[in-house]
Amino acid sequence: MESPCGEDVHMSVIRLPMLPGPEKIPWKAKVNGKEISKHIESNAILLDVLRDQVGTLGVKRGCDMGTCGCCSVLVNGKPKLSCLVLAQEVESKEITTVEGLSDGHHLHPIQEMFSEYGGSQCGFCTPGFLVVISSLLEENPTPNELEIKNAIEGNLCRCTGYQQIVDSVKAASELLVSGNKIENTTTPKSNPNPGFEN
Amino acid sequence: MSDEEKDEMVGYRQQPGKISFSRPGSGGKNSFSEPRDEKMIPESQGGMKKQPWGNHRHDNLITGRVVGKPTSLVDSNWKVTGRAKYGDDIRLPNELIGKIVRSPYHYARILSIDLSDALNLPGVVSIATGDDAKNKFGVLPVTKDEHAMAVDRVRHIGDLIACVAAEDEATALEAVRLINIEYEILDSIHDMKDGLKDSEVPIHDRGEYHIGEANIQKRVFQEFGHIKSMKKNAVASHKKNWFFNGVNHAATEPHAVVADWDPSGRLTLYTPQQVPHYVHRALADVLEIPMHQINVHRTFVGGGFGGKSDPFPHEMCASILARKSGRPVRITFDREEVYWINRGRHPSHIEMNLHADEEGRLCGIETDALIDGGAFASFGHVTTYYNGVLHTAPYEIGAFHYTGARVWTNKPASGAMRGHGAVNSRCAVEVGIDDISEQLQVDPISFRLANLLPPHSATITGFRVTSIGMRECLERVMKESGWKDKFRKMPLGHGIGIGCGFFISGSGLPIHWDPNKFPHATVHLKIDMDGGVTVHTGAADIGQGSDTVVAQSVAEVLGLPLDMIRIKSRETDTSPVDLGSYSSRVTFMNANAAISAAMEIRNDLLDATSEITKAPIEKLVIGDRRIFRKDDPAIGVSYLEALHKAQEDRGALVASGAYRTPPMGRAHKGAAAGLAPAYSFSAYVAEVKVDVETGQTKVEKVWAAHDCGKALNPLAVKGQIIGSCHMGMGQVLSEEMRYGRTGNLMNTDLLDYKIPSVHEMPHVTPIIVESNDPEGPFGAKEAGEGPLLPILPAVCNAVYDAIGVRMNELPITPDRLYKNIERKCRDLKIDDPADLPSPRLKHSELQDILEKRAGEHSIRDKERRLSSEIEPYHNGALFGMDPTIPPDEVDESWEVTVIPSEEYLENPRLAGSAWVHTERRKREGLK
Repeated sequence: MESPCGEDVHMSVIRLPMLPGPEKIPWKAKVNGKEISKHIESNAILLDVLRDQVGTLGVKRGCDMGTCGCCSVLVNGKPKLSCLVLAQEVESKEITTVEGLSDGHHLHPIQEMFSEYGGSQCGFCTPGFLVVISSLLEENPTPNELEIKNAIEGNLCRCTGYQQIVDSVKAASELLVSGNKIENTTTPKSNPNPGFEN
Repeated sequence: MSDEEKDEMVGYRQQPGKISFSRPGSGGKNSFSEPRDEKMIPESQGGMKKQPWGNHRHDNLITGRVVGKPTSLVDSNWKVTGRAKYGDDIRLPNELIGKIVRSPYHYARILSIDLSDALNLPGVVSIATGDDAKNKFGVLPVTKDEHAMAVDRVRHIGDLIACVAAEDEATALEAVRLINIEYEILDSIHDMKDGLKDSEVPIHDRGEYHIGEANIQKRVFQEFGHIKSMKKNAVASHKKNWFFNGVNHAATEPHAVVADWDPSGRLTLYTPQQVPHYVHRALADVLEIPMHQINVHRTFVGGGFGGKSDPFPHEMCASILARKSGRPVRITFDREEVYWINRGRHPSHIEMNLHADEEGRLCGIETDALIDGGAFASFGHVTTYYNGVLHTAPYEIGAFHYTGARVWTNKPASGAMRGHGAVNSRCAVEVGIDDISEQLQVDPISFRLANLLPPHSATITGFRVTSIGMRECLERVMKESGWKDKFRKMPLGHGIGIGCGFFISGSGLPIHWDPNKFPHATVHLKIDMDGGVTVHTGAADIGQGSDTVVAQSVAEVLGLPLDMIRIKSRETDTSPVDLGSYSSRVTFMNANAAISAAMEIRNDLLDATSEITKAPIEKLVIGDRRIFRKDDPAIGVSYLEALHKAQEDRGALVASGAYRTPPMGRAHKGAAAGLAPAYSFSAYVAEVKVDVETGQTKVEKVWAAHDCGKALNPLAVKGQIIGSCHMGMGQVLSEEMRYGRTGNLMNTDLLDYKIPSVHEMPHVTPIIVESNDPEGPFGAKEAGEGPLLPILPAVCNAVYDAIGVRMNELPITPDRLYKNIERKCRDLKIDDPADLPSPRLKHSELQDILEKRAGEHSIRDKERRLSSEIEPYHNGALFGMDPTIPPDEVDESWEVTVIPSEEYLENPRLAGSAWVHTERRKREGLK
């Protein structure tokens, strides 16, 4: 397409004012234990700031209207839907995303059990479930089935039918209570030459 | 090659000072790294694993490592840590944001597009329209009817007109608003019945192949056997006109794509695709560049279910914008756009007629299915066949008659969705069998058990069925659900119902059929000196666990732990061509290809071991990272020793394995649709509670038995069964794409499109039946789509058992069900729905006859599955025909008809009326 020139361009510029563009404001928060300080637009949504500016891409966008739960994060330990929160609202607060659940290379029990019990298939809803469940287990390390279901009722999963997610939570709860530590993921893998020293 | 050349090639063998292995045959300090798990080794190989379904050709490859054990997905740690990169997580430096201009009209001609305002907006880098990509594409080569962006006309609300790349999202959105488009609005079609009529401006023009001037995209007529005479024998008949609303896959990840042309001029397309290969082809067509100039990079896929298996126009848009702007372009859909691209299950009008004779045999099935394709063909050609041919099993039937038609309407395109084409008509069949059983006063499970095809048989349409676990599925769910104490015995409002399913395990004929017989799946292996195995496969892992199953297959054959297998399946540059994740083909075909590649490596390792230990190959077995003599396990070598020996003078071992389906099926038109190398079977029992005063249905429990041949990864199979229940429950109870009076799609979000939440989900008891398919990898068949089918009829039948009301429209929302309850109350002159009678069953004499026949058949089936010499069995034996000869060869008048007779056309059914039109090329006076 050729762009028109002369009068037309002039006219169109006059007819269409430029985007006003919201005011930029400084924003600070502690994301996964790290102090973050950014300049954000005053109307910025927390989900966008986390994905586009902070870089925590584990926070997923599924619906933009609070129906799927994929964008769940913890704000001061409480689950929130980051697509329905203005970044300004959480100024100076502590935010935990799925990236903040593991302790270095030690997975959080619920992460480990999601792998083991099939709580995650395609994995897109997984980060949302994990932060919500981690908050549940923080408050109540031994939830019963109904408590588990109540905790995750705001999260949609299209693959698992939830059953293996509930199983994973139960297993994680047992693991938490037992106090057993999960192995670091960087421990040596199988020796291809068993019997010989590595 | 001359001897001289040979010498030249292997000349380095003679290097002086080459040291032989220091401790040949030592096998290390431990004779075993892990003892062989005899419980996992089949009896045929001297192990303890029972084989009630007989031996398998892969038995000798079982090392007892991973196959058959619940296994975490190999990529699950990426997913649980948030490190998995989905479409929108690909962020390239200097990226632009792409947005799409979509049609606000159902059907309109585009008169002009004025881009000037948008181009003048600072921050807008490039804009593309239909003029930039004139070539058509489509997933099926026979029905290419899509453009990257509208050329001439838009065909549904949300159809693509142009796309914009800008520095940021706000600018891109503003630019979309600034594009001025003039339209001439055309008369749109929304009711699929109108699609059958001639129209002034058909939505597509197929040239000389166009059917009349109508919007009929595909029509099918099939008649097998003597439907008329069979109907005369009927003592019970069922007829029901169904309407199934459309449903969407609603994968949690909205579509997203990133296109990047690298400095060497090649395109890399990052996309969450189920079928990278078809995008690869379509991109080459649309961009007019050779395929080798494109690398399709499959990102993690946030759920597919068929919704990410077409080549999509937005993928073309991103590539075009990136080409024009010289920068990477990322396009991400919002949830609404997911509904505009749709490809969900077809809204369908289905008329189902079943006939049973006095011996309780299914003497005839007549189906008529009119399906609403929306604006584009997509997979519709196949869907039209599947609505008929996929209910010709698991029952033996006397005659089969099917008319199907798919029409274009001005709606978002329908396409393939989990259980492709089989779900709706299967629901109609299974509900019909429930009704017929009631008319005959027999138990519906007994009726089914007495009418099953045996293993190794041919269906009426000529499909080759190998393993069948249908009988076991039915028996297991009957037992575990306590069926006999509950069916027709529970109080009003409580009900139990049964439904069965039958589905293909891979498509016999690939979509891009190639006369050179390209394999359906290819897998490459590479093992270098580190001992880790790199597997290159094009199988698209969309969460179902295909990477895991391929890794398991390789690990099993080579006797290695799973962590030594690395799967590279993301890029078309490095992966061999695979046709993608659809038709439940991946486990069957890719695991088979992986096994044959691994067998090559295995032979190399055995040769090397034999050379080191001087033991003959047939005396050697593979255990955990160790190869040793069967009769003296102390003599052996470690895996790495054998590997290094095998690598002498060669370096890395590489192997390639492929799978192609055997020749199968009949020769009539459409015979290939529904052909598969194996079929899966399932039976579900659902228990429901219905509130007669509100029409609210709650599924309380589901017993779900699925015959997947062999569960290579039982954890994933169970996940698929439960997940299928979830998706099917959505369709039967709450999910629908609701179109308003003027044809607008009203629920383009997850608030109004109701996916079951955790509270709606019943407890599902997954039951795995392993029928050990002779051709499947280690006996496996599919488990991803088939398990969805039975839940719909099981719930419908359970609702009937609870309150005596049969629905003919899905989903069974409270308002719909309540209307039917009211009608029933009126018919029975009952004031209070709480006084409705519960259906009860008093067995007729036929029940004993059926049970006796089922018992005989059960013995017949067990003999057939274990026998080494199996006589052919063609559908029709139950009706007195010779099972060893195809019925059309026994009886000349038993014919396969694919064109309707004039007599039929005098009074056609709904979809059958598509045949009233004459194709243009066959019209008189026209060429």
